[in-house]
Amino acid sequence: MAINLSIYSNANSSSNSVVFDFVGDVLASSHDGLPYSPTNASSVEYYFKVTTNARQDNGNPYPAKIVRSLDELVLNRQKQSRNPYGDPYSTNAYSDVKSMVVDYAWDYINGHDANEDGTGVKAQNPMRF
Amino acid sequence: MARISVYQEETNRTYSVTAEALASVMDMVEGSASDGDIDYYIRISTNIPKVDGTSWPVYIIRKLTDNPPGVEYSTPSTFTELINQYVTYFITVSQLTESSSSSSSFSSSSSSSVSSSSSSMSSDSSSSWSSSSSSSSESSSSS
Repeated sequence: MAINLSIYSNANSSSNSVVFDFVGDVLASSHDGLPYSPTNASSVEYYFKVTTNARQDNGNPYPAKIVRSLDELVLNRQKQSRNPYGDPYSTNAYSDVKSMVVDYAWDYINGHDANEDGTGVKAQNPMRF
Repeated sequence: MARISVYQEETNRTYSVTAEALASVMDMVEGSASDGDIDYYIRISTNIPKVDGTSWPVYIIRKLTDNPPGVEYSTPSTFTELINQYVTYFITVSQLTESSSSSSSFSSSSSSSVSSSSSSMSSDSSSSWSSSSSSSSESSSSS
């Protein structure tokens, strides 16, 4: 079982889903900021794996995202999104799982510019419906 | 969903600890009445029996500070550390690592010392919302 967010576009009368699964796997990743060395590369880790069937409005798919801790923020693990209803561009760790899920979902839906607020992140377009 | 297998060599039994991400409206959040908003959390459960043969409650993880109850754990920096704390907690408090007591956990005639430690556990573990419901009796029983 996982958290399956259904995102509905009223303008387009269509839905996309974003899935937050909690998994335990040996993680081999080239994501920024993931420190892997030969001494820990075979250890099981527990983390949220965020995937979606949606595409960006330029047609590109979204890469899977890995969240190993509540201080791994959505913008290149450095800052929260520009979500105006949250804590825009905050560098504070998410206070709980709910805050993390809401901020990641907002960023999926609305996208972000390249190097958003100095995070060095790559551009991500808004979600296509 | 993450499923961790726990093998006990003495009894040749394999148990599991399950951690899964869920979304629900909570009836209570940290002792306060629900605001009706959907919450997102990790639910962790196990089929490892307590020393008295009863089941563990289900624990809810909303924050990294939601450690196993009753035992002083450091605040984990990652979900991996937190899940490992729960697995260690289930194994040690259920005395799976002690061959003499683990065999008695499946017996109705377990010793009085085991019974007393298990009763203190069941009272503590019911407060799954509180990460700081420490109990000295529980700490000593888990060592």
